[in-house]
Amino acid sequence: MAVRKLDCLTELCPIPLLKAIQEFKTMDIGDILVIEADHSCVCTDVKKWAREKEYEVKSIEIGPGEWEIYIKKTR
Amino acid sequence: MKGLRKYLKKPWPYWLGGVLLGLINVALLSLIGMPWKVTQGLLFLESGISNYTILNIGIIVGSLVATLLASEFKIKKIKDRKQVITALAGGIMMGYGAKLASGCNIGAFFSAIPSFSLHGWFFGIFAFLGAGLGVKLIVRFVL
Repeated sequence: MAVRKLDCLTELCPIPLLKAIQEFKTMDIGDILVIEADHSCVCTDVKKWAREKEYEVKSIEIGPGEWEIYIKKTR
Repeated sequence: MKGLRKYLKKPWPYWLGGVLLGLINVALLSLIGMPWKVTQGLLFLESGISNYTILNIGIIVGSLVATLLASEFKIKKIKDRKQVITALAGGIMMGYGAKLASGCNIGAFFSAIPSFSLHGWFFGIFAFLGAGLGVKLIVRFVL
């Protein structure tokens, strides 16, 4: 079970989601992807995608205007 | 108070934003007799402040207030040279495109379709096609 970090600071939609999709292709089941973002729509965007794919997803605001999104490749 | 906080913090659904923008555009048209345009205000800056310039300043001030109310204000750092170049190139292409299409998403699409102008539909179809092509280019060259 590996944890990967994806630095998406200053990137706007849809770049973080596209990067996450690309990163997910190379990940094994059980791995966790952490996305760092500072664009509020990224949470909405990534969560919508993860829920459609039925991956576990969670986000927290780590500072003013900065978020970390965790997605687990459950299948 | 907690309800208000949630209302200021969480993103609104797309349909609510759309309805509000539509209503505000109708109000604007009846107040100053012109629909909402963005690039128009940037174009004639040298000839003085127009209604559109005030609207553009309003957009910036309004989004600042919204960000502060959500306590999400952050000064973003420049990451690398690539970001500077792509941002500048994107801005120039958007500005040139808006001039060619005689308007941006707002003037040539959002305000044109409710005025029953055919060019709004034309703009819309090609904006969607262009966005699709843009995503393909991003996946291939930028990521």
